[in-house]
Amino acid sequence: MKKWTRKKQLHDVAKERTEIHTNMAALCKVVSGPRTGACVFPKRAIDICKSLYSTDSEETSEGKAVEETQKPAADKVKSGFAAAYEQHTDLQQRQNQTGTTVRLGSTRNEKSFASLLRNSPLMQMGPAKDKMVIGKIFHTIKDDLYIDFGAKFHCVCKRPTVDGEKYQRGSRVRLRLEDLELTSRFLGANTDTTLLEADAFLLGLIESKDAKTKE
Amino acid sequence: MAAGVLTKGLCGFCQPRIVAAGYSCSGPLYATATAVKTLPLQTDSTAVTDEIQNLPLETPDFFRLSELFSLKDLFDARVHLGHKKGCRHRLMEPYLFGSRLGQDIIDLDQTMVHLQSALNFTAHIAYRGGIILFVSRRRQFGHVVESTAGDCGEYAHTRYWQGGLLTNAPIQYGPGVRLPDLIVFLSTLNNVFQQHVGVRDAAKMNIPTVGVVDSNCNPSLVTYPVPGNDDTPAAMELYCRLFKMTINRAKDKRRQMELLQGLSPAGLTQGSS
Repeated sequence: MKKWTRKKQLHDVAKERTEIHTNMAALCKVVSGPRTGACVFPKRAIDICKSLYSTDSEETSEGKAVEETQKPAADKVKSGFAAAYEQHTDLQQRQNQTGTTVRLGSTRNEKSFASLLRNSPLMQMGPAKDKMVIGKIFHTIKDDLYIDFGAKFHCVCKRPTVDGEKYQRGSRVRLRLEDLELTSRFLGANTDTTLLEADAFLLGLIESKDAKTKE
Repeated sequence: MAAGVLTKGLCGFCQPRIVAAGYSCSGPLYATATAVKTLPLQTDSTAVTDEIQNLPLETPDFFRLSELFSLKDLFDARVHLGHKKGCRHRLMEPYLFGSRLGQDIIDLDQTMVHLQSALNFTAHIAYRGGIILFVSRRRQFGHVVESTAGDCGEYAHTRYWQGGLLTNAPIQYGPGVRLPDLIVFLSTLNNVFQQHVGVRDAAKMNIPTVGVVDSNCNPSLVTYPVPGNDDTPAAMELYCRLFKMTINRAKDKRRQMELLQGLSPAGLTQGSS
């Protein structure tokens, strides 16, 4: 009988905690909506949650005069189902806690420049020689196509003889890169002379019509 | 040709901007005619005007410009990409994060700090009714720069720069010409990889400059250098948008302050937003 009441109390407390979690998460989401330097809020949220936990445990212990329900303040060692239940509820609470903090943190970019750079496609690509990329045509002048593929410079390619009319502004094309920036040091110069252009070989269009017919 | 491009910016007489008594413009070419016009202002209103002028100086980020951009925005606009190692200017080395397979990478952490201070300075100049001139000799971005300047009510010069534009202004454009109070260089180079003449001339005329310096530029004469990419359209559009929003914010704030002054001349309440 005693075990059953204790389990019921655990269940009730766990329920209350999850409710408080969701409420706090909702509150923090609403509060951190306008960007007012909301770094302070996650800490405050955790503090409030912790204080709520402590009041809960105090109330239950005072009200029922049974063993405390919080794990860090546990005197009596629980065994069997009770212990397992408590362990799992604690894990779930910790997960929820970290979940809320991660959600709040990611609304403002927490990644450092070094990590952004490390994971960027430009770094992952390696040397630009003979790499396949997808580019987008942003300007055309008669036979010249100006293609931007996500690097510092665009590349300029001649309009191919096959399907020449399909290469218009906004069409996506496949490229084989040669160089990201055409530079060369000439005799008697202090610095390299740059053409402010990349060099790539045009392979062909990306057929968007096939994707449409499939759908 | 060049004289026709610069619009009413250099006519000192038709400037409706409020000039505080205590505020001294740059250079000896400040119009004496406008100084005469400010004399009939009453002393108590000039005191209130001084208060409006000095209020933004009390907080470090009065216009809250750090909300306008983030590291991720700069990264997505490819601001960190520099030229090849061989094009590097020696004085840009402190601003570089490193070099990857021969291409220099600009340190965005430093760029954030520099961009913040540059935008803050621009906002303060705009708040005080200063003239801002956008300069860029990149033909690819000429239209973007000119439309940005038009959108925020400032001036742009994206054509051939005549030699005596700043240094010989009273003779070329008539006496009593008002020079810009800030020059924003969206690219500090000419097309022939020489530095733009305006950088040197602004330094000669004591005009502060804000400049986007790429890894092949010389940052030494620019007052507020912003290390960043100046060759990609995405990056240039980002800079133009940021400057436009900063200047508009500052001008709106000024109008708000003046309205408050109009309602309660005795006491000024702190700006609410």
